Amino acid sequence: MIILSVESSCDETSVSIIRDGINVLSNIVLSQIDIHKAYGGVVPEIASREHIKGITMVFEKALNIANIKKDEIDLVAVTKGPGLIGSLLIGVNAAKAFAFSNDIDIVGVHHIAGHIYANALTKDLVFPLICLVVSGGHTELILMKEHFDFRKLGETMDDAVGEAYDKVARTVGLGYPGGPLVDELAFTGEPNYKMPDISLGKTYNFSFSGIKSHVINLVHNIKQRNEEINIPDLCASFQETVSEVLVTKSIRAIEEYDAKMFMIAGGVAANKGLRKKIDERINNVEVIVPEFKYCTDNAAMIGVAGYYQYLKTKKTDNMRLNGSSRIDLV
Amino acid sequence: MKKLLKRLVIDSASKFLYIALYNDLECLGKYYAEGNNDHSVKLMSEIERIFVSNNIKVKDLDEIIIGIGPGSYTGLRIGVVVAKMFAWNNKIPVRTVSSLAMFASSSSFNGLILSEIDARRGNSFLGLYRKTGKTLVLEDEEKLSNLENYKESIKESFEVVSKGEPNIEVLLNSDILTQVKDIHGLNPNYLRITEAERNLS
Ligand SMILES: [Zn+2]
Repeated sequence: MIILSVESSCDETSVSIIRDGINVLSNIVLSQIDIHKAYGGVVPEIASREHIKGITMVFEKALNIANIKKDEIDLVAVTKGPGLIGSLLIGVNAAKAFAFSNDIDIVGVHHIAGHIYANALTKDLVFPLICLVVSGGHTELILMKEHFDFRKLGETMDDAVGEAYDKVARTVGLGYPGGPLVDELAFTGEPNYKMPDISLGKTYNFSFSGIKSHVINLVHNIKQRNEEINIPDLCASFQETVSEVLVTKSIRAIEEYDAKMFMIAGGVAANKGLRKKIDERINNVEVIVPEFKYCTDNAAMIGVAGYYQYLKTKKTDNMRLNGSSRIDLV
Repeated sequence: MKKLLKRLVIDSASKFLYIALYNDLECLGKYYAEGNNDHSVKLMSEIERIFVSNNIKVKDLDEIIIGIGPGSYTGLRIGVVVAKMFAWNNKIPVRTVSSLAMFASSSSFNGLILSEIDARRGNSFLGLYRKTGKTLVLEDEEKLSNLENYKESIKESFEVVSKGEPNIEVLLNSDILTQVKDIHGLNPNYLRITEAERNLS
């Protein structure tokens, strides 16, 4: 089964062609990151304008590289949300127009299902499994007992972990996107700054606004005293506390639900500090992490998720399919 | 016998959505309604309805005429991206036309027509056209301005139009359509840069 998939929920315009949910024939990602750098974050209206500029070119490249004909495509899968609405609507309508023009069925796919299924490109999923979803917009612990069956065990009560990383980066004057820079600097420092307890006790929920405010206040106070901030140490302290809470709750979920597999998903899954801690601490179940190129937004992951969604539900959408900025996975 | 041309005409630049399928000047099916932030739901589903009832496929089209704004409404991009995909997928020629000209073409008034699309915050996208019989001519450069202020600058009598179904005969008969040479380059006409870009410079 050949799926053409489309992802445009934020600032990446992406089209992929994938066979049987595993064989990526092409995965074109047109990133706008350099455009948004000047603004210190993604500007929604600019993102939408860039999506429509690039969309047909990205389709064309994906088809050329995969070297398949349109009539070989069995299904179109597209991110229906969550994300920036103006951005989503470009992908959804381009995908509908493509599906309609070529008489192909279409399915709308949840963006987070895509991030989770990026892992299936690394290894076959084994159930039950626990997935830690960490990105700029999400922090969730998900239990899966079979394919395309998601149960949310917990989520962030305030900021997403990626958001907190970016805020810390801005506070100490690093560029955009700041998360990866904090991660990098953390490895050159020691966790010497005291951080607040963010464990929230026994729940599977998270909270990162407290530690974010703590860092902002800390930096403010150090500056007031005219002292130097040790940025690597600050990054190391922040990263240690955050990755510790993520991994500790993951381990508890793995034990409680007798998981056979643990995986991480989302943009922050590329975080090396988090990967290292998982490596050190989670040893009694199989651990998979997505390849770096499938951590950030891309259409291949939507194609994989669309494949398993279709196998499980046998349902397709119609031409009324719409994008939605807020939509729950479960 | 001259072959009849099948044309799809789309305009989604304002809160009104217009879709029509023509066989030369004969309308085979259409949709025209004020939307409720739902162009994304309506556009493709109405195109499907019109095409299915006429037993026509996208590949059967000879031309697409797309209203490219000006506008700021998210809906504008929905019409343009569908036209762009259809044209790219099936190598169908596309001509663009100002959405303001489309409104102006709907008027039966002979003389000056001020075409308006709301741009929020007291501003409008404005186009001043002169209609003589079945021909439209742009009288003044399209702009983003306050409607009342702009009205005062017009010295003749005129009619204001801010909705209406385009008149295909007038559009085809006027020198206001622009052939798209490279389909990848087809973009809406926003008429202004984004607020973020303005603040940056
Ligand atoms: Zn994402």
